[in-house]
Amino acid sequence: MSSTHLLNHAMRVGIFAFASLGSAGILLARDEDDDDDRGRPPQVLKQGFESTDQLLDDIERAERGPKHSVWIIESSRFMNVPHRAFMPDVGDPPFVDLPVNVGIIKAPNGDITLYDSGWKQLAYIFDWNTSCCWAAIRSQMRAIGLDPNRVVRIIAGHAHWDHSGQLSEFPNAVLYVQKEELKQIDFFLDYPTRFNGGHIRAVNTVDPLTGAQVGPPAQACARSPVCGYPPQTVQEILGKLLAGKARVIDGRHEVAPGMIIHPAFRGHTYGSQLLQVNTSRGQLVFGSDTYSSWTGIRDWFVANIQQTDTIQQFLAYEKCYVLTSKRNSFHNCIAAHEPVSYTAAYPITSNWWNIPGGNCSRAAELTLANGEKTHVPANPDRTPPGQCHSVIPPHEIRP
Amino acid sequence: MAVLAGLVVASVAWLVPFAPNNEAGVRGAFVNAALVAKARRPALTAAEEKYIRELWPIHGDVERSTLRMSLGQIFYTTRDLSRADLGTRVKEASATYKAAEARLHALEPPASLHTEHMAYLSAVALFRESAAELLKMFSDGRDDHMLAAYPKSQEASNKIREVGGRFWPHEFPPH
Repeated sequence: MSSTHLLNHAMRVGIFAFASLGSAGILLARDEDDDDDRGRPPQVLKQGFESTDQLLDDIERAERGPKHSVWIIESSRFMNVPHRAFMPDVGDPPFVDLPVNVGIIKAPNGDITLYDSGWKQLAYIFDWNTSCCWAAIRSQMRAIGLDPNRVVRIIAGHAHWDHSGQLSEFPNAVLYVQKEELKQIDFFLDYPTRFNGGHIRAVNTVDPLTGAQVGPPAQACARSPVCGYPPQTVQEILGKLLAGKARVIDGRHEVAPGMIIHPAFRGHTYGSQLLQVNTSRGQLVFGSDTYSSWTGIRDWFVANIQQTDTIQQFLAYEKCYVLTSKRNSFHNCIAAHEPVSYTAAYPITSNWWNIPGGNCSRAAELTLANGEKTHVPANPDRTPPGQCHSVIPPHEIRP
Repeated sequence: MAVLAGLVVASVAWLVPFAPNNEAGVRGAFVNAALVAKARRPALTAAEEKYIRELWPIHGDVERSTLRMSLGQIFYTTRDLSRADLGTRVKEASATYKAAEARLHALEPPASLHTEHMAYLSAVALFRESAAELLKMFSDGRDDHMLAAYPKSQEASNKIREVGGRFWPHEFPPH
């Protein structure tokens, strides 16, 4: 047999072998193991991306809708929080008080939308934490001249317990929550702790006696993916859904003329969402904790980085800049925990007053639509927070 | 010194995001920031400590099962979870609640924590009853058992959060 013949034969064998292997998938990058990939983290997470052009289009779209009147109220106030725990790049002053702001948006037909719904866990607020000023949102609304029975929808900026409480107090309101927010809780409940000795887990992340949150197996809850969602909060979301009063949405969503939800996935939590509202002072954009701090969005500092991708937080900041670009820019970005809320230092909240009978909680009138009279009293109580005395509501444990 | 103090604050900030400063008189005292990591809990007796420690893992199992069951119903309603998968979750939760009740009965709460213990026990019983109601939907095919099951699980969730707020103030830090 000649060498040429041998070479030809070898080539034919080689080509046949290559084709056989290829057809069997052996030469392809195949996952040959027998495990079940469905339980693994997705390799491409939803980004909630919206182009600048799309956002600019939404300004024009919202402007074709009605103009709204807008207020914020303080659901409660966290006292003496280390500033760097809130904003790692800002330490002066070293401690700050953080309001928990809830947005109230009134349409010309009287329908009211809440952005976030405060919190309700009184034992936590008053037994262990020096927070003050909690009051029920329904009574706060009545005290500033708004009818809580006209609340037709609640937009959950995110579903942490201090922003999605009191849902059951508004049985007729439709809740809007991102599917991504709920999916991430579900996924991380099954986080594979066997590889990290319980280092990352969904619940039970503190020492049961000292409250210390240090390394495995008691890892810091605040940075773990499911921290912030007690069963009680998720139950209230379930209750809304079972009652036909919830919309589990996926990304951008126009909830009503002049009101558009924008995804801000992982800007604070996996399914955080912004709310753009058409008003006479331009587009207001509520951020919940995606921009907890207004000075943060103004000066480009991260804030309240919990289940946060800081790049996504900054991209959410950019969304607000684009949406407010025609009027007032970042002044129209509404933050949930800005320490200087209800002062001239956060100009849009400067028209504030203590809510009558509101346990030292505050309200601010942000903008009024044509025909809506001011809700600020003729002689508003502007007693400074340090001189206002709040009380502890009863909160008994009953067997 | 300022750098050191900054590091102390930064490290505490990482450990306890948003933990409030519960100690009187430290406001503005930069170097005392570490105090914020401690809750203002009255001194516990040895029996109280033992009880709270023993309840903790039971509480974790109850919470995880409840979240899985609640989210299972949500995703079943939105058609993101099959009926069979929901059934698996409910059965697992039901087993967890039964085991939790047995574990709770085995505890010996001190008299000072009797109210909390009874509240927790009644909450787990409500969860078990809620799961039992849900299980019916897999035998008769009627989804409206979710509606009947819901009030009990909601009440139970309220109860364990109130008790949890007393025993484990740092379990869910403010966000």
